[in-house]
Amino acid sequence: MKDTLVFECELPEGPEKVWKALTVPELLASWLLPNDIRPVQGARFSFESGGPEGAPGGRIDCEVLKVEPLRLLRYSWRTDEMGSTACEDSLDSIVTFELLPTVRGGTLLRVIHDGFPVDLRAPVAMLARQPGSRPGSPFRHLMRKAA
Amino acid sequence: MMEANLFRALADPTRRAVFERLASGELSVSQLTEGFSISQPAISQHLATLREAGLVAERRQGRFVYYRAEPAGLSPLIGWVDRYRTFWPERLRRLQTVLKDMES
Repeated sequence: MKDTLVFECELPEGPEKVWKALTVPELLASWLLPNDIRPVQGARFSFESGGPEGAPGGRIDCEVLKVEPLRLLRYSWRTDEMGSTACEDSLDSIVTFELLPTVRGGTLLRVIHDGFPVDLRAPVAMLARQPGSRPGSPFRHLMRKAA
Repeated sequence: MMEANLFRALADPTRRAVFERLASGELSVSQLTEGFSISQPAISQHLATLREAGLVAERRQGRFVYYRAEPAGLSPLIGWVDRYRTFWPERLRRLQTVLKDMES
């Protein structure tokens, strides 16, 4: 078990529209980062990031790991910001988008970012950087529902 | 580059295990070697890499050297993960706007 970031938001738009925003390069670029995504398992693509507004700097290399149209999209997320000479496997993390239709015709979108190189829970506890948090609970980063 | 050292140090599973072992208390190289199926020189090499990365500190006492974990050495990595804690909510807010403006 490693550190997991989970964010959730309920969108009024249906899964088809949300899926487009996740898989059409121009649409994805308009909210995430410039990219050349292809929603095909095994496809490699990248995000280009200038690094402003708290975005990660440099290039993010990705490989599509799983595609279930209108339901799930998962890709690896490898940044080179820590120095590309670092060991090959060290900077991989994984991003998963899950789409669930809601009864009101909208979409519950869940973003899961995990697979970080080391389990940070113990060191974080040692550093006491997050008093009051429950280490290991994957739902401690839940994003508040859109107002 | 300090952060590249950090990631290189943590990329190796044995080094991660050494680090985790030392996180529970100070040990000498020979005490540390007991728990692993690799040679003392190999452990020493791993310790040197961990020290360079700022993950392990040493204390000399006479002819003995004791090692302990320095969790603060993980701060760049924690910072890296923390950045995504703010990155994703901010991007998802943008997504909401983009979806509203999208045709069908």
